[in-house]
Amino acid sequence: MDVISCVGLTKRFGPAIVVNGLDLAVSSGQVYGFLGPNGAGKTTTIRMLLGLIAPSAGQVFLLGRRLPDPRVVAQAGSMIEEPAFYPWMTGRANLEVLGATGGGCGRGEVARVLRLAGLADVDVRKVKTYSQGMRQRLGIAAAMLGRPALLIIDEPTNGLDPAGIRDIRELLRGLAAEGTTVFLSSHLLAEVEQVCDRVAVIVGGRLVEEGAPAMLGAIKRRVRVEVRAADSGAAARLLARWTARHADGQFLVEHDSGRDVNGVLVAGGVIAEAVTVERPGLEHRFLEITGKEDARAVAAGR
Amino acid sequence: MLWLLAAELRKLIRPLVWGTGLAITGFCLLITWGGANNARSALASPRIPDVCVRAVTAQCRQVTAHAHAAARTAAAATSLLAQPGEIGHVAAGMLASVPGLLLIALVAGGHWGGEWGIRTIRQLLARQGRRTRVLTVKWLTIWAAGVAALVCCWLVLAVAAPLIVAGAGLPAAHAPMWAGLGSSASAAGRAVIVLGLFAAVGTAAGAIARGQLATTAITAGSMLLALLVAGIASIGRLSPASFVQAWMNFDAAGYLPTNFWSRFVSGGQQSGQLAGLLGIVVTGAVAAVIARWRFSADVTV
Repeated sequence: MDVISCVGLTKRFGPAIVVNGLDLAVSSGQVYGFLGPNGAGKTTTIRMLLGLIAPSAGQVFLLGRRLPDPRVVAQAGSMIEEPAFYPWMTGRANLEVLGATGGGCGRGEVARVLRLAGLADVDVRKVKTYSQGMRQRLGIAAAMLGRPALLIIDEPTNGLDPAGIRDIRELLRGLAAEGTTVFLSSHLLAEVEQVCDRVAVIVGGRLVEEGAPAMLGAIKRRVRVEVRAADSGAAARLLARWTARHADGQFLVEHDSGRDVNGVLVAGGVIAEAVTVERPGLEHRFLEITGKEDARAVAAGR
Repeated sequence: MLWLLAAELRKLIRPLVWGTGLAITGFCLLITWGGANNARSALASPRIPDVCVRAVTAQCRQVTAHAHAAARTAAAATSLLAQPGEIGHVAAGMLASVPGLLLIALVAGGHWGGEWGIRTIRQLLARQGRRTRVLTVKWLTIWAAGVAALVCCWLVLAVAAPLIVAGAGLPAAHAPMWAGLGSSASAAGRAVIVLGLFAAVGTAAGAIARGQLATTAITAGSMLLALLVAGIASIGRLSPASFVQAWMNFDAAGYLPTNFWSRFVSGGQQSGQLAGLLGIVVTGAVAAVIARWRFSADVTV
């Protein structure tokens, strides 16, 4: 079952089209990454999913029900941008109030999410004394309150230290393993690559790529070859059939097969010290995709 | 709905609300102390026309005697009004007039407009998407803060006012301690309705302004504007401030003022109490419609 489904989702603010005919389908139990450059329409889409703003056109289905439906929105845990809390209250009191706002939850549930978010020791401190990282953790705790079937979170690792980022990554994976669907918007692409099952990239309010992180974009692999200094000249001649750069006996060949490259070298009498196939990271491919889309938009006069 | 109400009531436990409640109670105490002292001064030296200060004519003796009698009557009235039963008129009148309006404006600003200011409105609506329910509960809790301040103010005055009057040296009131409790309770009941109107205006102001200071300013400003309009003879009767005046039936103040409202409303023909109530209900309903309309707009903070 699709936990989130958007069909032709569009949002206009005056003449500006912020989200433009977005189609999305997020299956149950997935950790789904939602990527895009600043101003791409990610937060606007999330606000529409949570019923904070109304779409100008299109439909949104959440947990199988068509929005607007206040009951179904309340079943999704969420954290939008920088989480906000009542500064005069303690962390625990904030969660209790949020729980009651959504129809009530037990003290045990509040204690559970505080423990999961690593805030059990500071729960009686007022939120105004919390660091940014602690507020971020409290935001994640609030989103998990009541064991929602769907978590919609925007930049969950903002302000967290490396240990905190690892904790949140493991927490999200653990939640997904328990069956919670996580819809995650983040700029930390290395994190997204590690934690997400599928990724969507939007640019200018339109979906431009969607798939498993490893398959996203044009997969341009490269072969790194290391040869002895004495063989450099011969290797350069043999590898000239491909686009290649070299320095100090190291060659970077724009080709996806290490076997082909090594075969050419061996046939030419050059024995490589090492041949490694390199795959560009998600960040590299994301920049390529968004850069290409920006160029298209400029060309189309958008 | 009850869970949401409990959550919103819990949010009211904050320095802003305590501070505003204390300020109102302190203001009522100050007014009582000032009124008692004015009555004592008047008793010690009643207002006698200059021509009669040294004159010993029979007419002047009559004027002087009359001034002394009036001062004694006013002092006795002040003593009586300061009894625990009667002092409810002061608490009710203050909360149903400008001091109560300012309290509601500040509470509405912090409790409702502040949800946008500190961006907690996102979490609130993501948890509770029924916006009419959110508006209703906000209105009820702002109203509850006003009613709590009224009760608190009356209780503090009931203890302190007799002591203030005794300390000022006014003659003791020859009446049972709880004399006038019924009429005070009636005034307090009417004040509760007025507080409901102020809260409705505050709720609408929050939905329009979407910020703490702007909500406070619109709540206080709109009712103070209504008060100014009430002073215009031709259209004053249609002002919400005139409805409040008619419903509360505020009278001219003695040494101890029972409201800060009637002095601003025109001396023209006043509507009846029922017409005042109807006007309050209609004004509240208009505020509710405006609040619901504005609150249905996108939340982009």
